Amino acid sequence: MPYMTESEVFDRFSQIVAKSLRIDPSLIARDTHLNDLGAESLDLIEITMETESQFHIFLPDKSILETAVEVFGPGILENQGYLTEEGKRFLMCRMPQADARAFEGEVAVKDLQQYFLKVGTWVRMIQDLAKYTPAECESCGGPMAASMGFRMKCSKCGQEITLRSGEELNREWVREYYDREYRPHAGSPVSVTAAE
Amino acid sequence: MGNLVYDSSVPQTWLPEVCRLDTFPHAPDVLADMILTPAERAHWTAMRAVEKRRHEWLLGRYAAKEAVRLVLEKNLDVRLSPDQIEIVTDPYGCPQVEYGQQAGHLLKPVLSIAHSQGTAVALAVLDPGARVGIDLESLAHRREDFETVAFSPDERGLLAALPADLRSEWALRMWCAKEAVGKALGRGLSAGLLAFHIARVDLSTGAVEIELRASALDQCPQLRGKSLEVQTNRESCFVSSTFIYHQGAAAMRPSRQEILDYLLQKMGELTQDWDYPDPVGPESLLFTGLGFESLDAVVLCTAIQEHYQTPMPFAELLAEIGQQQRDLSINELADFVNTHLRPSSGEASRRVQ
Repeated sequence: MPYMTESEVFDRFSQIVAKSLRIDPSLIARDTHLNDLGAESLDLIEITMETESQFHIFLPDKSILETAVEVFGPGILENQGYLTEEGKRFLMCRMPQADARAFEGEVAVKDLQQYFLKVGTWVRMIQDLAKYTPAECESCGGPMAASMGFRMKCSKCGQEITLRSGEELNREWVREYYDREYRPHAGSPVSVTAAE
Repeated sequence: MGNLVYDSSVPQTWLPEVCRLDTFPHAPDVLADMILTPAERAHWTAMRAVEKRRHEWLLGRYAAKEAVRLVLEKNLDVRLSPDQIEIVTDPYGCPQVEYGQQAGHLLKPVLSIAHSQGTAVALAVLDPGARVGIDLESLAHRREDFETVAFSPDERGLLAALPADLRSEWALRMWCAKEAVGKALGRGLSAGLLAFHIARVDLSTGAVEIELRASALDQCPQLRGKSLEVQTNRESCFVSSTFIYHQGAAAMRPSRQEILDYLLQKMGELTQDWDYPDPVGPESLLFTGLGFESLDAVVLCTAIQEHYQTPMPFAELLAEIGQQQRDLSINELADFVNTHLRPSSGEASRRVQ
Protein backbone atom coordinates (compact mmCIF):
# COMPACT_ATOMS: atom_id res chain seq x y z
CA MET A 1 0.00 0.00 0.00
CA PRO A 2 1.54 3.36 -0.98
CA TYR A 3 1.91 5.77 1.89
CA MET A 4 -1.42 7.21 3.02
CA THR A 5 -1.88 10.21 5.25
CA GLU A 6 -3.88 9.94 8.44
CA SER A 7 -6.82 11.76 6.90
CA GLU A 8 -6.78 9.54 3.79
CA VAL A 9 -6.92 6.49 6.06
CA PHE A 10 -9.66 8.11 8.12
CA ASP A 11 -11.80 8.87 5.05
CA ARG A 12 -11.43 5.43 3.64
CA PHE A 13 -12.06 3.71 6.96
CA SER A 14 -15.13 5.90 7.56
CA GLN A 15 -16.55 4.72 4.26
CA ILE A 16 -16.01 1.10 5.22
CA VAL A 17 -17.76 1.64 8.56
CA ALA A 18 -20.62 3.64 7.04
CA LYS A 19 -21.25 1.01 4.39
CA SER A 20 -21.12 -1.89 6.82
CA LEU A 21 -23.43 -0.24 9.37
CA ARG A 22 -25.61 1.43 6.73
CA ILE A 23 -25.18 4.86 8.28
CA ASP A 24 -24.22 8.27 6.97
CA PRO A 25 -20.42 8.78 6.95
CA SER A 26 -20.94 12.25 8.45
CA LEU A 27 -21.83 10.57 11.77
CA ILE A 28 -18.29 9.25 12.02
CA ALA A 29 -15.55 11.26 13.74
CA ARG A 30 -12.19 10.24 15.17
CA ASP A 31 -13.52 10.13 18.71
CA THR A 32 -16.65 8.19 17.78
CA HIS A 33 -16.95 4.71 19.26
CA LEU A 34 -17.89 1.95 16.85
CA ASN A 35 -20.41 0.51 19.31
CA ASP A 36 -22.09 3.91 19.65
CA LEU A 37 -22.61 3.74 15.89
CA GLY A 38 -24.56 0.54 16.50
CA ALA A 39 -21.81 -1.93 15.56
CA GLU A 40 -22.42 -5.44 16.86
CA SER A 41 -19.75 -8.09 17.24
CA LEU A 42 -20.23 -9.51 13.77
CA ASP A 43 -20.24 -6.01 12.28
CA LEU A 44 -16.78 -5.60 13.78
CA ILE A 45 -15.70 -8.79 12.05
CA GLU A 46 -17.04 -7.45 8.76
CA ILE A 47 -15.35 -4.11 9.27
CA THR A 48 -12.12 -5.93 10.10
CA MET A 49 -12.30 -8.04 6.95
CA GLU A 50 -13.14 -5.14 4.70
CA THR A 51 -10.35 -3.03 6.23
CA GLU A 52 -7.86 -5.84 5.75
CA SER A 53 -8.71 -6.31 2.11
CA GLN A 54 -8.81 -2.61 1.25
CA PHE A 55 -5.59 -1.67 3.06
CA HIS A 56 -3.77 -4.97 2.47
CA ILE A 57 -3.06 -5.50 6.15
CA PHE A 58 -3.56 -8.29 8.69
CA LEU A 59 -5.25 -6.88 11.80
CA PRO A 60 -4.64 -8.44 15.22
CA ASP A 61 -7.61 -10.32 16.66
CA LYS A 62 -6.98 -9.21 20.22
CA SER A 63 -6.09 -5.96 21.88
CA ILE A 64 -2.54 -4.98 22.73
CA LEU A 65 -3.41 -5.30 26.42
CA GLU A 66 -4.54 -8.88 25.98
CA THR A 67 -1.36 -9.79 24.10
CA ALA A 68 0.70 -8.05 26.77
CA VAL A 69 -1.06 -9.91 29.59
CA GLU A 70 -0.18 -13.15 27.81
CA VAL A 71 3.48 -12.16 27.67
CA PHE A 72 3.72 -10.69 31.19
CA GLY A 73 1.57 -13.31 32.87
CA PRO A 74 -1.52 -12.68 34.98
CA GLY A 75 -1.75 -10.02 37.65
CA ILE A 76 1.11 -7.77 36.52
CA LEU A 77 -0.49 -5.32 34.10
CA GLU A 78 -4.07 -5.83 35.17
CA ASN A 79 -5.55 -7.11 38.40
CA GLN A 80 -9.23 -7.84 39.10
CA GLY A 81 -10.23 -5.78 36.09
CA TYR A 82 -8.14 -2.70 36.91
CA LEU A 83 -4.83 -1.57 35.43
CA THR A 84 -1.87 -1.76 37.78
CA GLU A 85 0.75 1.02 37.81
CA GLU A 86 2.85 -1.27 35.63
CA GLY A 87 -0.08 -1.63 33.22
CA LYS A 88 -0.55 2.12 33.02
CA ARG A 89 3.16 2.61 32.32
CA PHE A 90 2.95 0.01 29.56
CA LEU A 91 -0.06 1.57 27.86
CA MET A 92 1.26 5.12 28.11
CA CYS A 93 4.42 3.95 26.39
CA ARG A 94 2.44 2.12 23.74
CA MET A 95 -0.03 4.93 23.16
CA PRO A 96 1.91 8.19 23.65
CA GLN A 97 -0.88 10.05 21.85
CA ALA A 98 -3.44 9.11 24.53
CA ASP A 99 -4.35 11.74 27.07
CA ALA A 100 -2.29 11.08 30.21
CA ARG A 101 -5.31 12.07 32.30
CA ALA A 102 -7.06 8.98 30.99
CA PHE A 103 -4.66 6.96 33.16
CA GLU A 104 -5.22 8.85 36.38
CA GLY A 105 -6.94 7.05 39.23
CA GLU A 106 -8.61 3.71 38.73
CA VAL A 107 -8.68 2.54 35.12
CA ALA A 108 -10.92 -0.43 34.40
CA VAL A 109 -10.36 -2.83 31.54
CA LYS A 110 -13.81 -1.91 30.21
CA ASP A 111 -12.68 1.73 29.84
CA LEU A 112 -9.83 0.53 27.63
CA GLN A 113 -12.18 -1.57 25.54
CA GLN A 114 -13.96 1.68 24.85
CA TYR A 115 -10.66 3.19 23.73
CA PHE A 116 -9.95 0.25 21.44
CA LEU A 117 -13.34 0.77 19.78
CA LYS A 118 -12.62 4.40 18.88
CA VAL A 119 -12.45 5.23 15.19
CA GLY A 120 -9.23 7.22 15.76
CA THR A 121 -7.58 4.18 17.38
CA TRP A 122 -8.42 2.04 14.36
CA VAL A 123 -7.11 4.69 11.96
CA ARG A 124 -3.77 4.81 13.79
CA MET A 125 -3.57 1.03 13.89
CA ILE A 126 -4.26 0.80 10.15
CA GLN A 127 -1.61 3.42 9.40
CA ASP A 128 0.96 1.63 11.56
CA LEU A 129 0.29 -1.76 10.01
CA ALA A 130 0.24 -0.45 6.44
CA LYS A 131 3.94 0.42 6.85
CA TYR A 132 4.68 -3.30 6.74
CA THR A 133 2.91 -3.82 3.43
CA PRO A 134 5.31 -3.16 0.55
CA ALA A 135 4.00 -1.19 -2.42
CA GLU A 136 6.82 -2.42 -4.65
CA CYS A 137 8.45 -5.78 -5.19
CA GLU A 138 11.72 -6.21 -3.33
CA SER A 139 13.38 -8.09 -6.18
CA CYS A 140 12.20 -6.30 -9.32
CA GLY A 141 10.46 -3.12 -8.12
CA GLY A 142 7.21 -4.11 -9.83
CA PRO A 143 3.84 -3.21 -8.27
CA MET A 144 2.52 -5.56 -5.57
CA ALA A 145 -1.09 -6.71 -5.66
CA ALA A 146 -3.19 -8.61 -3.13
CA SER A 147 -3.11 -12.36 -3.41
CA MET A 148 -4.92 -15.12 -1.52
CA GLY A 149 -4.88 -15.29 2.29
CA PHE A 150 -2.84 -12.33 3.53
CA ARG A 151 -0.30 -12.59 0.73
CA MET A 152 0.91 -10.04 -1.80
CA LYS A 153 2.16 -10.90 -5.25
CA CYS A 154 4.37 -8.91 -7.61
CA SER A 155 2.44 -8.25 -10.80
CA LYS A 156 5.68 -8.20 -12.79
CA CYS A 157 7.90 -11.05 -11.57
CA GLY A 158 5.29 -13.05 -9.63
CA GLN A 159 7.23 -13.12 -6.35
CA GLU A 160 4.94 -13.64 -3.35
CA ILE A 161 5.32 -12.40 0.21
CA THR A 162 3.23 -13.05 3.30
CA LEU A 163 1.91 -10.02 5.18
CA ARG A 164 3.12 -9.51 8.73
CA SER A 165 0.25 -10.20 11.12
CA GLY A 166 -0.73 -7.45 13.51
CA GLU A 167 -0.85 -10.01 16.28
CA GLU A 168 2.74 -11.07 15.63
CA LEU A 169 3.96 -7.45 15.43
CA ASN A 170 2.16 -6.62 18.67
CA ARG A 171 3.75 -9.60 20.37
CA GLU A 172 7.22 -8.56 19.18
CA TRP A 173 6.65 -5.05 20.44
CA VAL A 174 5.49 -6.33 23.82
CA ARG A 175 8.47 -8.70 24.16
CA GLU A 176 10.90 -5.87 23.39
CA TYR A 177 9.18 -3.65 25.91
CA TYR A 178 9.25 -6.46 28.45
CA ASP A 179 13.00 -6.98 28.06
CA ARG A 180 13.84 -3.29 27.95
CA GLU A 181 11.46 -1.76 30.48
CA TYR A 182 10.06 -4.40 32.74
CA ARG A 183 12.57 -7.16 33.34
CA PRO A 184 15.45 -4.91 34.46
CA HIS A 185 13.41 -3.13 37.13
CA ALA A 186 11.34 -6.15 38.09
CA GLY A 187 14.60 -7.96 38.76
CA SER A 188 16.00 -5.21 40.96
CA PRO A 189 14.76 -5.23 44.55
CA VAL A 190 15.46 -1.47 44.88
CA SER A 191 12.94 -0.44 42.24
CA VAL A 192 10.40 -2.95 43.50
CA THR A 193 10.52 -1.19 46.86
CA ALA A 194 10.25 2.15 45.09
CA ALA A 195 7.21 0.96 43.18
CA GLU A 196 5.52 0.00 46.42
CA MET B 1 -36.55 -12.12 54.48
CA GLY B 2 -33.69 -13.62 56.44
CA ASN B 3 -34.16 -17.03 54.86
CA LEU B 4 -33.42 -15.57 51.44
CA VAL B 5 -29.74 -15.10 52.12
CA TYR B 6 -27.70 -17.53 50.09
CA ASP B 7 -26.86 -20.69 51.93
CA SER B 8 -24.60 -22.95 49.91
CA SER B 9 -25.60 -26.04 51.90
CA VAL B 10 -29.18 -25.82 50.67
CA PRO B 11 -29.61 -27.09 47.12
CA GLN B 12 -31.09 -24.29 45.01
CA THR B 13 -33.48 -24.86 42.17
CA TRP B 14 -31.60 -22.45 39.90
CA LEU B 15 -34.26 -22.27 37.27
CA PRO B 16 -32.86 -20.08 34.53
CA GLU B 17 -35.00 -17.31 33.17
CA VAL B 18 -34.64 -16.04 29.61
CA CYS B 19 -36.47 -12.89 28.64
CA ARG B 20 -36.73 -11.75 25.03
CA LEU B 21 -38.09 -8.40 23.87
CA ASP B 22 -38.50 -7.04 20.38
CA THR B 23 -40.94 -4.19 20.82
CA PHE B 24 -41.20 -1.23 23.12
CA PRO B 25 -44.31 -1.41 25.30
CA HIS B 26 -44.14 2.39 25.61
CA ALA B 27 -42.23 5.19 23.92
CA PRO B 28 -38.54 4.76 24.82
CA ASP B 29 -38.37 7.85 27.04
CA VAL B 30 -41.52 6.81 28.89
CA LEU B 31 -40.17 3.30 29.38
CA ALA B 32 -36.86 4.73 30.61
CA ASP B 33 -38.73 6.74 33.26
CA MET B 34 -40.66 3.67 34.34
CA ILE B 35 -37.93 1.07 34.66
CA LEU B 36 -34.55 2.75 35.17
CA THR B 37 -32.97 3.70 38.46
CA PRO B 38 -31.69 7.31 38.75
CA ALA B 39 -28.12 6.23 37.92
CA GLU B 40 -29.28 4.25 34.89
CA ARG B 41 -31.49 7.15 33.81
CA ALA B 42 -28.46 9.46 33.90
CA HIS B 43 -26.50 7.03 31.75
CA TRP B 44 -29.37 6.75 29.26
CA THR B 45 -29.64 10.53 29.00
CA ALA B 46 -25.90 11.02 28.55
CA MET B 47 -25.51 8.24 25.99
CA ARG B 48 -24.09 9.68 22.79
CA ALA B 49 -25.00 6.98 20.34
CA VAL B 50 -27.15 6.36 17.31
CA GLU B 51 -30.80 5.62 17.97
CA LYS B 52 -30.44 1.90 17.21
CA ARG B 53 -27.79 1.56 19.89
CA ARG B 54 -29.69 3.63 22.49
CA HIS B 55 -32.89 1.70 21.91
CA GLU B 56 -31.16 -1.64 22.08
CA TRP B 57 -29.41 -0.63 25.30
CA LEU B 58 -32.73 0.31 26.87
CA LEU B 59 -34.47 -2.83 25.62
CA GLY B 60 -31.53 -4.89 26.93
CA ARG B 61 -31.84 -3.30 30.37
CA TYR B 62 -35.57 -3.94 30.35
CA ALA B 63 -35.11 -7.59 29.36
CA ALA B 64 -32.48 -7.97 32.10
CA LYS B 65 -34.73 -6.47 34.75
CA GLU B 66 -37.63 -8.68 33.64
CA ALA B 67 -35.45 -11.79 33.77
CA VAL B 68 -34.23 -10.87 37.26
CA ARG B 69 -37.72 -9.97 38.42
CA LEU B 70 -39.17 -13.27 37.16
CA VAL B 71 -36.37 -15.43 38.52
CA LEU B 72 -36.87 -13.88 41.97
CA GLU B 73 -40.62 -14.23 41.82
CA LYS B 74 -40.58 -17.87 40.71
CA ASN B 75 -37.80 -19.13 42.93
CA LEU B 76 -38.10 -16.98 46.06
CA ASP B 77 -41.61 -15.60 45.76
CA VAL B 78 -40.17 -12.09 46.06
CA ARG B 79 -41.67 -9.30 43.97
CA LEU B 80 -39.54 -6.35 42.98
CA SER B 81 -40.34 -3.59 40.52
CA PRO B 82 -37.91 -2.97 37.64
CA ASP B 83 -36.64 0.25 39.19
CA GLN B 84 -35.63 -1.63 42.36
CA ILE B 85 -33.22 -3.69 40.28
CA GLU B 86 -30.12 -1.87 39.12
CA ILE B 87 -27.92 -3.33 36.40
CA VAL B 88 -24.29 -2.23 36.81
CA THR B 89 -21.19 -3.44 35.00
CA ASP B 90 -18.05 -4.88 36.57
CA PRO B 91 -14.56 -3.61 35.57
CA TYR B 92 -14.55 -5.98 32.60
CA GLY B 93 -17.95 -4.72 31.45
CA CYS B 94 -20.07 -7.71 32.56
CA PRO B 95 -23.54 -6.87 33.82
CA GLN B 96 -24.30 -7.45 37.50
CA VAL B 97 -27.38 -7.03 39.65
CA GLU B 98 -27.63 -4.53 42.52
CA TYR B 99 -30.67 -3.84 44.67
CA GLY B 100 -31.78 -0.76 46.49
CA GLN B 101 -31.56 -0.65 50.28
CA GLN B 102 -34.89 -2.37 50.98
CA ALA B 103 -33.73 -5.55 49.27
CA GLY B 104 -30.00 -5.23 49.86
CA HIS B 105 -29.54 -8.68 51.38
CA LEU B 106 -31.56 -10.53 48.76
CA LEU B 107 -29.86 -13.28 46.77
CA LYS B 108 -28.47 -11.85 43.51
CA PRO B 109 -28.91 -13.76 40.27
CA VAL B 110 -26.11 -13.80 37.71
CA LEU B 111 -26.97 -12.19 34.43
CA SER B 112 -26.10 -11.84 30.78
CA ILE B 113 -27.58 -9.54 28.12
CA ALA B 114 -27.42 -9.50 24.32
CA HIS B 115 -29.06 -7.52 21.57
CA SER B 116 -29.16 -7.49 17.83
CA GLN B 117 -31.19 -5.66 15.19
CA GLY B 118 -33.83 -4.30 17.54
CA THR B 119 -34.25 -7.42 19.69
CA ALA B 120 -32.83 -7.87 23.18
CA VAL B 121 -32.46 -11.00 25.30
CA ALA B 122 -31.36 -11.52 28.88
CA LEU B 123 -30.58 -14.61 30.92
CA ALA B 124 -30.73 -14.68 34.73
CA VAL B 125 -29.83 -17.61 36.97
CA LEU B 126 -30.34 -17.60 40.72
CA ASP B 127 -26.98 -19.11 41.63
CA PRO B 128 -24.47 -16.45 42.65
CA GLY B 129 -21.66 -18.90 41.94
CA ALA B 130 -22.75 -19.61 38.37
CA ARG B 131 -21.44 -18.00 35.24
CA VAL B 132 -23.85 -17.35 32.41
CA GLY B 133 -23.69 -16.06 28.88
CA ILE B 134 -26.28 -15.35 26.23
CA ASP B 135 -25.87 -14.15 22.67
CA LEU B 136 -28.20 -13.18 19.87
CA GLU B 137 -27.36 -12.58 16.22
CA SER B 138 -29.41 -11.86 13.16
CA LEU B 139 -29.12 -14.17 10.16
CA ALA B 140 -29.56 -11.27 7.78
CA HIS B 141 -26.74 -9.51 5.91
CA ARG B 142 -23.77 -11.64 6.85
CA ARG B 143 -20.70 -11.57 4.71
CA GLU B 144 -20.40 -15.11 3.39
CA ASP B 145 -16.70 -15.24 4.17
CA PHE B 146 -16.92 -14.18 7.84
CA GLU B 147 -16.25 -17.84 8.59
CA THR B 148 -12.66 -17.54 7.42
CA VAL B 149 -11.95 -15.05 10.21
CA ALA B 150 -14.22 -16.45 12.90
CA PHE B 151 -13.27 -20.12 12.67
CA SER B 152 -10.20 -22.31 12.58
CA PRO B 153 -9.65 -24.78 9.72
CA ASP B 154 -10.94 -27.59 11.98
CA GLU B 155 -14.08 -25.65 12.78
CA ARG B 156 -14.63 -24.85 9.12
CA GLY B 157 -14.29 -28.59 8.54
CA LEU B 158 -17.23 -29.16 10.91
CA LEU B 159 -19.25 -26.67 8.89
CA ALA B 160 -18.25 -28.14 5.56
CA ALA B 161 -19.56 -31.53 6.69
CA LEU B 162 -23.05 -30.11 7.28
CA PRO B 163 -25.85 -30.15 4.70
CA ALA B 164 -25.49 -27.04 2.51
CA ASP B 165 -28.82 -25.52 3.53
CA LEU B 166 -27.86 -25.57 7.22
CA ARG B 167 -24.37 -24.17 6.88
CA SER B 168 -24.94 -20.44 7.30
CA GLU B 169 -27.32 -20.97 10.22
CA TRP B 170 -24.84 -23.25 11.98
CA ALA B 171 -21.95 -20.92 11.32
CA LEU B 172 -23.93 -18.33 13.22
CA ARG B 173 -24.84 -20.81 15.97
CA MET B 174 -21.15 -21.61 16.38
CA TRP B 175 -20.33 -17.92 16.56
CA CYS B 176 -23.08 -17.33 19.15
CA ALA B 177 -21.76 -20.26 21.17
CA LYS B 178 -18.29 -18.70 21.35
CA GLU B 179 -19.80 -15.38 22.39
CA ALA B 180 -21.91 -16.97 25.13
CA VAL B 181 -18.92 -18.79 26.64
CA GLY B 182 -16.79 -15.65 26.36
CA LYS B 183 -19.43 -13.66 28.20
CA ALA B 184 -19.84 -16.34 30.86
CA LEU B 185 -16.11 -16.37 31.55
CA GLY B 186 -16.32 -12.62 32.01
CA ARG B 187 -13.85 -11.40 29.42
CA GLY B 188 -15.76 -11.75 26.17
CA LEU B 189 -13.76 -12.94 23.19
CA SER B 190 -10.70 -10.93 24.27
CA ALA B 191 -8.61 -14.10 24.37
CA GLY B 192 -9.05 -14.39 20.59
CA LEU B 193 -11.65 -16.23 18.57
CA LEU B 194 -9.62 -19.40 18.19
CA ALA B 195 -9.19 -19.75 21.96
CA PHE B 196 -12.83 -20.89 22.03
CA HIS B 197 -12.53 -24.10 20.10
CA ILE B 198 -15.68 -25.78 18.81
CA ALA B 199 -15.25 -29.50 19.28
CA ARG B 200 -18.68 -30.78 18.30
CA VAL B 201 -22.12 -29.71 17.18
CA ASP B 202 -25.34 -31.64 17.59
CA LEU B 203 -27.88 -30.86 14.87
CA SER B 204 -30.72 -32.63 16.67
CA THR B 205 -30.46 -30.79 19.99
CA GLY B 206 -28.77 -27.54 18.93
CA ALA B 207 -25.91 -28.15 21.34
CA VAL B 208 -22.46 -26.79 20.55
CA GLU B 209 -19.51 -28.07 22.57
CA ILE B 210 -16.60 -25.75 23.23
CA GLU B 211 -13.16 -26.43 24.62
CA LEU B 212 -11.00 -23.59 25.83
CA ARG B 213 -7.51 -23.12 24.46
CA ALA B 214 -4.51 -20.85 24.84
CA SER B 215 -5.18 -17.63 26.73
CA ALA B 216 -8.84 -18.45 27.41
CA LEU B 217 -7.47 -21.29 29.55
CA ASP B 218 -5.11 -18.89 31.33
CA GLN B 219 -8.21 -16.92 32.30
CA CYS B 220 -9.96 -20.08 33.59
CA PRO B 221 -7.40 -22.83 34.26
CA GLN B 222 -9.99 -24.94 36.08
CA LEU B 223 -11.72 -25.57 32.75
CA ARG B 224 -8.77 -27.36 31.17
CA GLY B 225 -9.92 -30.51 29.40
CA LYS B 226 -13.60 -29.73 30.06
CA SER B 227 -16.20 -29.72 27.38
CA LEU B 228 -18.58 -26.77 27.73
CA GLU B 229 -22.02 -27.34 26.30
CA VAL B 230 -23.79 -24.34 24.84
CA GLN B 231 -27.43 -24.54 23.83
CA THR B 232 -28.23 -22.76 20.55
CA ASN B 233 -31.62 -22.02 19.03
CA ARG B 234 -32.99 -20.59 15.83
CA GLU B 235 -36.10 -18.43 15.95
CA SER B 236 -37.22 -16.79 12.69
CA CYS B 237 -34.25 -14.71 11.48
CA PHE B 238 -32.37 -14.85 14.79
CA VAL B 239 -29.98 -17.34 16.26
CA SER B 240 -29.39 -17.32 20.00
CA SER B 241 -27.20 -19.19 22.45
CA THR B 242 -27.28 -19.77 26.19
CA PHE B 243 -24.52 -21.11 28.36
CA ILE B 244 -24.85 -21.76 32.08
CA TYR B 245 -21.86 -22.94 34.05
CA HIS B 246 -22.42 -23.80 37.70
CA GLN B 247 -19.15 -23.70 39.61
CA GLY B 248 -20.07 -27.13 40.89
CA ALA B 249 -19.87 -30.10 38.63
CA ALA B 250 -23.22 -29.61 36.91
CA ALA B 251 -22.19 -27.67 33.84
CA MET B 252 -19.09 -29.73 33.27
CA ARG B 253 -21.31 -32.66 32.47
CA PRO B 254 -19.40 -35.58 33.95
CA SER B 255 -19.63 -38.66 31.80
CA ARG B 256 -21.79 -41.56 32.94
CA GLN B 257 -18.65 -43.46 33.83
CA GLU B 258 -17.51 -40.58 36.06
CA ILE B 259 -20.89 -40.59 37.76
CA LEU B 260 -20.68 -44.34 38.33
CA ASP B 261 -17.14 -44.01 39.68
CA TYR B 262 -18.27 -41.31 42.06
CA LEU B 263 -21.24 -43.39 43.24
CA LEU B 264 -19.09 -46.45 43.85
CA GLN B 265 -16.61 -44.36 45.78
CA LYS B 266 -19.39 -42.73 47.81
CA MET B 267 -20.95 -46.13 48.53
CA GLY B 268 -17.56 -47.32 49.67
CA GLU B 269 -17.38 -44.41 52.14
CA LEU B 270 -20.93 -44.89 53.43
CA THR B 271 -20.60 -48.62 53.93
CA GLN B 272 -17.01 -48.59 55.14
CA ASP B 273 -17.67 -50.46 58.39
CA TRP B 274 -20.35 -52.72 57.02
CA ASP B 275 -19.45 -56.32 56.40
CA TYR B 276 -20.23 -57.71 52.97
CA PRO B 277 -19.41 -61.14 51.61
CA ASP B 278 -19.13 -59.73 48.04
CA PRO B 279 -17.37 -56.55 46.84
CA VAL B 280 -19.61 -53.57 46.05
CA GLY B 281 -20.00 -53.22 42.26
CA PRO B 282 -22.23 -51.54 39.68
CA GLU B 283 -24.83 -54.30 39.94
CA SER B 284 -25.02 -54.26 43.75
CA LEU B 285 -28.56 -53.66 44.97
CA LEU B 286 -28.98 -50.92 47.54
CA PHE B 287 -31.59 -52.43 49.82
CA THR B 288 -31.44 -56.23 49.57
CA GLY B 289 -27.75 -56.36 48.58
CA LEU B 290 -26.17 -53.62 50.69
CA GLY B 291 -28.73 -53.57 53.48
CA PHE B 292 -29.68 -49.90 53.05
CA GLU B 293 -32.37 -48.50 55.32
CA SER B 294 -34.45 -45.61 54.03
CA LEU B 295 -32.41 -43.15 56.10
CA ASP B 296 -29.21 -44.38 54.43
CA ALA B 297 -30.84 -43.74 51.06
CA VAL B 298 -31.71 -40.18 52.10
CA VAL B 299 -28.13 -39.56 53.22
CA LEU B 300 -26.85 -40.89 49.90
CA CYS B 301 -29.31 -38.81 47.85
CA THR B 302 -28.41 -35.65 49.74
CA ALA B 303 -24.71 -36.32 49.22
CA ILE B 304 -25.24 -36.81 45.49
CA GLN B 305 -27.22 -33.57 45.14
CA GLU B 306 -24.62 -31.65 47.08
CA HIS B 307 -21.78 -33.15 45.09
CA TYR B 308 -23.33 -32.18 41.76
CA GLN B 309 -24.95 -29.03 43.17
CA THR B 310 -28.12 -29.98 41.35
CA PRO B 311 -31.48 -30.87 42.85
CA MET B 312 -32.82 -34.17 41.51
CA PRO B 313 -36.24 -35.80 42.04
CA PHE B 314 -34.99 -38.53 44.38
CA ALA B 315 -38.21 -38.52 46.39
CA GLU B 316 -40.15 -39.55 43.28
CA LEU B 317 -37.58 -42.19 42.44
CA LEU B 318 -37.70 -43.73 45.92
CA ALA B 319 -41.51 -43.58 45.97
CA GLU B 320 -41.61 -45.30 42.60
CA ILE B 321 -39.38 -48.20 43.56
CA GLY B 322 -41.31 -48.50 46.83
CA GLN B 323 -44.58 -48.81 44.93
CA GLN B 324 -43.15 -51.35 42.55
CA GLN B 325 -41.59 -53.18 45.48
CA ARG B 326 -38.30 -53.55 43.69
CA ASP B 327 -34.69 -52.72 44.44
CA LEU B 328 -32.28 -50.26 42.88
CA SER B 329 -28.81 -51.07 41.56
CA ILE B 330 -25.92 -48.61 41.60
CA ASN B 331 -25.99 -48.76 37.81
CA GLU B 332 -29.63 -47.64 37.76
CA LEU B 333 -28.79 -44.88 40.19
CA ALA B 334 -26.01 -43.72 37.85
CA ASP B 335 -28.50 -43.62 34.98
CA PHE B 336 -30.88 -41.58 37.08
CA VAL B 337 -28.18 -39.05 38.00
CA ASN B 338 -26.97 -38.92 34.41
CA THR B 339 -30.48 -38.10 33.21
CA HIS B 340 -31.00 -35.30 35.68
CA LEU B 341 -27.65 -33.58 35.37
CA ARG B 342 -28.15 -31.95 31.99
CA PRO B 343 -29.22 -28.35 32.28
CA SER B 344 -32.27 -27.56 30.17
CA SER B 345 -31.87 -23.84 29.75
CA GLY B 346 -33.79 -23.74 26.47
CA GLU B 347 -37.08 -24.73 28.07
CA ALA B 348 -37.18 -21.78 30.39
CA SER B 349 -37.44 -19.29 27.57
CA ARG B 350 -40.51 -17.16 27.61
CA ARG B 351 -41.73 -14.04 25.96
CA VAL B 352 -42.72 -11.01 27.96
CA GLN B 353 -45.36 -8.85 26.37
